[in-house]
Amino acid sequence: MLQRFLDPGVLASLASLDLVAKTVVDGFISGLHRSPDFGFSQEFAEYRSYNPGDDLRHVDWNVFARSERMYLKRYRGETNCQVNVLLDTSGSMKYGSKGLEKLEYAKFLCASILYLAHLQRDAAGLVVFDDEVRNFVAPSTKQGQLHRLLHAVEQAQPGKRTDITRPFAHLMDFLRRRGMVAVISDFWEAPERVIEAVQPLRFRGNEVVLFHLLDPEEIKPKLRHPVMLEDLESGETMEVTPDYAAKEYRQKMQAHMDDIEARTKGAGMDYFLVDTSRPLDGALREYLALRTGRL
Amino acid sequence: MGFLTPWFLAGVIGVGLPVWLHLLKRHKTDPRPFPSLMFFERREQSSVVHRRLDYILLFILRAAMLVLLALLFAAPYINRSRPKATGQRLVVVAVDHSFSMRATQGGESRLDKAKREAQDILSKVPATNAAQVLALGGQVEAMTQQTNDPEALRAAVVSIQPTDGRASYSELARFARTLAESSKMPLEVHLVSDLQKSAMAAFNDVRMAGDTTLIVHPVGGEIPNWTVENVVAPTHVYDPKRVRITATIAGFAAPAAKRNVSLVLNGKPVQMKQVDVPANGRAQVEFLELPVSYGFNKCEVRIDSADALPGDDSFAFSVERLDPKKILFIDNGRGAKAELYLHTALVDASADAAFQIETQRPENVANASLNGYALAILNDPTTLPPGLEANLQTFVNGGKGLLVVLGTSSAALPKVPVEDDVIDTTRYAGREREIFLTISSFEGGHPVLKGVGRMDGVRFYQVTHVTPVKGHALATLNDETPLLLERQIGEGKVLVFASPLDNSVNDFPVHGAYFVPFVQQVATYLGGSGAEQPVNLVVDQYVELRTGESKNTAAEVLDPDGKRLLSAQEATTAKTYPVSREGFYEVTTATGKRSQVAVHADRRESDLAVIPKETLDLWQGTGSGGAGGEGTGAAAGGDSKIPWSLSPFLLLLLLGVALAESVVANGYLRPPAERPVIRKEAA
Repeated sequence: MLQRFLDPGVLASLASLDLVAKTVVDGFISGLHRSPDFGFSQEFAEYRSYNPGDDLRHVDWNVFARSERMYLKRYRGETNCQVNVLLDTSGSMKYGSKGLEKLEYAKFLCASILYLAHLQRDAAGLVVFDDEVRNFVAPSTKQGQLHRLLHAVEQAQPGKRTDITRPFAHLMDFLRRRGMVAVISDFWEAPERVIEAVQPLRFRGNEVVLFHLLDPEEIKPKLRHPVMLEDLESGETMEVTPDYAAKEYRQKMQAHMDDIEARTKGAGMDYFLVDTSRPLDGALREYLALRTGRL
Repeated sequence: MGFLTPWFLAGVIGVGLPVWLHLLKRHKTDPRPFPSLMFFERREQSSVVHRRLDYILLFILRAAMLVLLALLFAAPYINRSRPKATGQRLVVVAVDHSFSMRATQGGESRLDKAKREAQDILSKVPATNAAQVLALGGQVEAMTQQTNDPEALRAAVVSIQPTDGRASYSELARFARTLAESSKMPLEVHLVSDLQKSAMAAFNDVRMAGDTTLIVHPVGGEIPNWTVENVVAPTHVYDPKRVRITATIAGFAAPAAKRNVSLVLNGKPVQMKQVDVPANGRAQVEFLELPVSYGFNKCEVRIDSADALPGDDSFAFSVERLDPKKILFIDNGRGAKAELYLHTALVDASADAAFQIETQRPENVANASLNGYALAILNDPTTLPPGLEANLQTFVNGGKGLLVVLGTSSAALPKVPVEDDVIDTTRYAGREREIFLTISSFEGGHPVLKGVGRMDGVRFYQVTHVTPVKGHALATLNDETPLLLERQIGEGKVLVFASPLDNSVNDFPVHGAYFVPFVQQVATYLGGSGAEQPVNLVVDQYVELRTGESKNTAAEVLDPDGKRLLSAQEATTAKTYPVSREGFYEVTTATGKRSQVAVHADRRESDLAVIPKETLDLWQGTGSGGAGGEGTGAAAGGDSKIPWSLSPFLLLLLLGVALAESVVANGYLRPPAERPVIRKEAA
């Protein structure tokens, strides 16, 4: 039980990512998500009026016998769902103000989601990207799939990126079936470009969740003296004063987060801000509660 | 404006430190990684301005502190005009009346010429100007106060008399500096002198004050002069036939010449010799025998030079004829060799034969009076007859001296007679094995051991070991055995020599270079009656009249003319008296000891060489008034400046800047307060 309150920094010291994922996710098995597909399984969902062209095999003939009206009987899908996690490994993910880099935290989060999906018999897949798609594990429920996924997560290394739209354009080639897509990134892009890049996934019927991963120093930088800052992605340097960081930057950053959240929800997607100073189990709990509420 | 120590201005380079800290160092800080700079605006200008605005005040204050510190160390000053209260100068006329001014040229002495020159100077002094007349000899003598009265000034010049003292320009400079300080007026110093080179001192000593003008008026130049420079003669004569007197005849700027040198005793020439004095050189004359009578004798060495300064052609010295001092040698008949060695060292080898030795057996002097002896030597004592030790103790207590020589028989004694330290044992070292003892430590400054030193090569084979409890070890052998001990008993002294004075168990007596001076110094030390008055002095030296103990008894000093020099009060209180002229003084100290003191002029006055012109120019340049021309005396109202230090103001300024820097730095370097930022929590 105590491990539920462990700080992510402590978890980082554990060598086995597999163990870490189990430890963190254990206890949330009741949070099974549902597939967005409506199929013909055992769980009844609703009746719908027959329209010309519908498959006559789905007509409820008992109702027709009693009322002489044709209704189609629909059932709710269960686990036949693809869960894809899109892990951003751009250069900015290398940042960490308290010893734990954002990428490490993102790996824990990614592994936890994949483990959860694996427990649910979902076909879990992984896409690692920066300015290109760096690694791709196709969704599958085959034996050994979890290990393949975790291995891919472990192998992820920070790269570069200046443009988010390019890798997402390629992602469309890999994600053909509808399912759930979790995007883990710090989204250091203009909100409209983020939405522009991610929105096609939603258009294809995917359930899209954006995990916006940020370090507390990114949200509220604390500077005592004017310092020279270096952009981890572009290498550009700029002199910043404490006064600017304390006032204008924070306002702009807050506006940026608010804008992304608003645009994400406006596009029918979920937005979830993850502060890397928070314990990972707390973030997962919030995520599941969010999904349960929606479904 | 100027700086007393301008080299400290190099400290201004230290301003580079805050420049580096504030401007350069911050530009070179390592970039700090940050995920993205998309929300930071490139506002380089505003950032730099911000930094400069934030820190420029701190930088200015720190730089100002360093500059002020460097300025403070450089001791800046500004020249301010001296307040011209009177607009006048004080004219000081210093007339040299030292011994050399007795020299005559053209039938007129230098002093007369100097006095005439001084009168001329005073006649040019405006009536509104104050003036003062000084006489420069061994000391500077103010002949008048600062006055406007020309008659008083002229009378003062007339009253200046020749002296036998030695001129010192450093004394004049010191007087002038003091006068400039006290009078608050610019000085115009006129030095009327023969400008002897020997009167010059180091420049730091002769420098004039900043507002003093030095004008020199030379009288006379360098002329040939012969003199009796020095005479070496005994102060006490015990045997007139064994006297040796050596005189040095010197010629300054003089050609080679033959000079007749005569020895004059109580006004009558007793010997005469001729000597060849080389050009600018010296020659020595030696006189043997001096037929002096008992008591004090006035002696002189004279030359027959016909030069311009006849005063230095004779050299006076005083000689006292005395009977030899009697030494009581107490021996039981076994110390014949020791007596022989002592007699050889004290009588035969002595230049003046100041002592004669009388040998007595212990039992003969056990109860006899010892008053006629200057000192006693107790040689190799064994068991003393009754009464001898007490008799010797009385003898020593009365202020006489005793030398106890511990020989081979003394080891049986429990303690040293009279001296009373315990005899422990006897230290032996075998001659056959060449194992011997040598002196390892000694008090070289003691009168007995002066010049004797470590006695290198002297071997001691047997020494009586005495533990020095009451006495004090003066010399110690290399096995820590004391060889020579001293103890003060009453008014007298006892010396203990822990080895015989024959060569039975040491070879000390055969080392004449050590033995003879040692024995003579022991005899002089024990047989003398304390420090004696020096009887040959230079003018302006002092005779000692009393020590601290004798206050109520009167002393007396008679000058060469027989005049009493001490007042009644001085006779009972004065400790010393300066002798100011050549000749023979009769001095009676407070203890009643009478002596005759011969006084002669400092022979550096005989060298009439003149200060080189370059040196003179430098000297005149030490005062800001510089070298005067002929002297106006009316240079009144000159724009004289005095340095005014700015250091106190800089110090106050530095203090203020330091306080301001503390306040500003405290404001800047305090961690910024966290400012609340309104943000929306993530849903």
